[in-house]
Amino acid sequence: MLLLQLFVNGIQVGILYALTAVGFSLIFGSTKIFHFAHGATFVIAAYIFQFIYAGLGLHWILAVIVAMMATVSFGLFLNRFVYVPIQRHEGSYFTIFVASFGSVIIVQNLIGIIFGRGFLVIDTPLSRGVEVVDNLLVSPLLGIALLCAVMIFGGLHLVMTRTHVGIALRALSESPELVRTFGLSARRLSVYAFALGSSLVVPAAIFTGATSGLNPTIGYHVMLISLISTIVGGVGSIWGAAIVGLMIGIAENLALWQFDSQWSEAVSFAILFLFIIFRPSGLFGRASVH
Amino acid sequence: MFDYLKNMSLKNLGLSLTVGIGLMSSSAAWSEELQIGAIFPLSGPNAIYGDIFTSAFKLAERHVKEDGLLDGDFSILYEDSQALPQQAVTAMNKMVNVQGLQYVLTAFTGQTKAISPIAKRSQTVIINGGAVGPDLAKLTDYLWNVIPLANTELHGLLPYIVKERGLKSFVLLYVDDPLGDGILDVLNSDLPPLGATLDKTFSVAPTTQQFSGIAASIRNIGPDVVFVASYGDQMIQIVKQLRENGVKAQLASYSAFSTPNLQTLPAAKGALYARQAVNIDSDDNLTTRYLKDYQEEYGKSPSVYATNYYNAVWLYVLLAHELQKQGKEVTGENLLAQRRAMDSFPLVGGTVTFDDTGVLLAPIQVMEIDGEAGKTLSVMSTNN
Repeated sequence: MLLLQLFVNGIQVGILYALTAVGFSLIFGSTKIFHFAHGATFVIAAYIFQFIYAGLGLHWILAVIVAMMATVSFGLFLNRFVYVPIQRHEGSYFTIFVASFGSVIIVQNLIGIIFGRGFLVIDTPLSRGVEVVDNLLVSPLLGIALLCAVMIFGGLHLVMTRTHVGIALRALSESPELVRTFGLSARRLSVYAFALGSSLVVPAAIFTGATSGLNPTIGYHVMLISLISTIVGGVGSIWGAAIVGLMIGIAENLALWQFDSQWSEAVSFAILFLFIIFRPSGLFGRASVH
Repeated sequence: MFDYLKNMSLKNLGLSLTVGIGLMSSSAAWSEELQIGAIFPLSGPNAIYGDIFTSAFKLAERHVKEDGLLDGDFSILYEDSQALPQQAVTAMNKMVNVQGLQYVLTAFTGQTKAISPIAKRSQTVIINGGAVGPDLAKLTDYLWNVIPLANTELHGLLPYIVKERGLKSFVLLYVDDPLGDGILDVLNSDLPPLGATLDKTFSVAPTTQQFSGIAASIRNIGPDVVFVASYGDQMIQIVKQLRENGVKAQLASYSAFSTPNLQTLPAAKGALYARQAVNIDSDDNLTTRYLKDYQEEYGKSPSVYATNYYNAVWLYVLLAHELQKQGKEVTGENLLAQRRAMDSFPLVGGTVTFDDTGVLLAPIQVMEIDGEAGKTLSVMSTNN
């Protein structure tokens, strides 16, 4: 029964990781911008939702919409006023990373100043485990997160395969030169990537706030998971990132069955190292020759 | 300029130099700057503690200036450590080698252990009012603790849990750092003589955020008590996730459970913890003014941590005042000698004393989280 409980817990954690990672994977895969501030977007989403929902007492749907608007605005702002100017001056990949990292620190401190640096918990009875069979607890939030993930990934699949923007984003991920040859603007497409990728983080931020709680500094952990999922899933493959996010959550929990709890987090890195050594292009990535 | 000096008589030159040097030395005496340092997490996941400690310092600084006990300007310099040893060492080096401070306030077991060799080498007093790792008692004479350490707290708490509540099987969930390791040692040594057992331990990294898997494992073991040894936001995450994932065992911890966030966390209700007893009903002027002004300034009652750090500043003031009266320089070495020369110190909560290792002797309270300020279940003298 312990193994089954750990597996169920792993799915719940894994869904959150998958939802977190897919936005970063979309942005990084399409634009090749190392958007480290994706973690800050996550924090903004959680704190804005909590403020509207619990602070002002408004309906949760309104809180989700406002949180989504805030994250999209933040993503577009960074792209327009930080990344584009750096790229225009031919700033290196590393310069963009440092700028993005700096943005995380600024956001982290601003959130601390505005909302306090204490621990944020989105209080809901939905996060409490309910005994479904003997000694197996499942929280209602798992069902909601699962449903939400199916809808989001289904919707994302439609956007990426049936719309011009989605197809263009996939093309940008494959070959930016070819996109330009066809007369499309990579800059304009990156706007769509940032808007979509930033909005995708909202459900994960809300669910994380409800299940484990968070503080202004959680962005680093978010980025760690997103980065591992993106690399192991294969850069450019948003489905790869989602599947690996889910896998990491399950693996972290199942590790407790046989190993000491200290090793639980190391599992993510073990997976990363194994892939870097044996399949550097990732689970769904394609090897390229330079 | 040189022509002017050539034209001066030797007598006039000597007189001018004497007057000049005299003026300089008297001006230095009157404008002596008494600065102390504070190395705390002002950012990062433990910044909530920095806020609590800083609230006490600001009030202490104000009171010191109002009372005028010290000859010279008094101020507190801050450095952010994020509760990390590496940052704390950098901050300590700056305070000792650049700013020349003789008295530095610190917190958290890991960072305090990290800076203690610098304190010993430079004969700088470091004073801790928040960390409770048991091995802090023996690091150096220059480390003083105005808080009883975890071994003392647990000597009060564990007999209560085992004898009064009849709970005998323990599981420990601890953060893998000097604090957690210290508490593991105390449980290993203290539980068997009480007839209790430590059935399983779960160590986690300070950065771990997910505990649902550990909760499932604990539920599978079914202990009477889950002892939690962590701090900061992680402590809240642990308690919330244990309860939401079906762990119904008695929760217990050390004084870190006394933070306001945990006191009001619904999942923590009924948890037991130990902390030092501070007599806030003491009618001395220092205590009544502190309680009144803290309430006015921050709109709430001070926590034990805030009181400890207020006392830490006040201890410096008492010692420095005595040294100045004796015409001695306020150095780390003289502060240590003066602390040893004085038997007791009137601080907030009454008169206190230190043991030979520089740890404050205070009674220990066993508390239960009741959603408000906490319910006192028993009080044990440190000498028991």
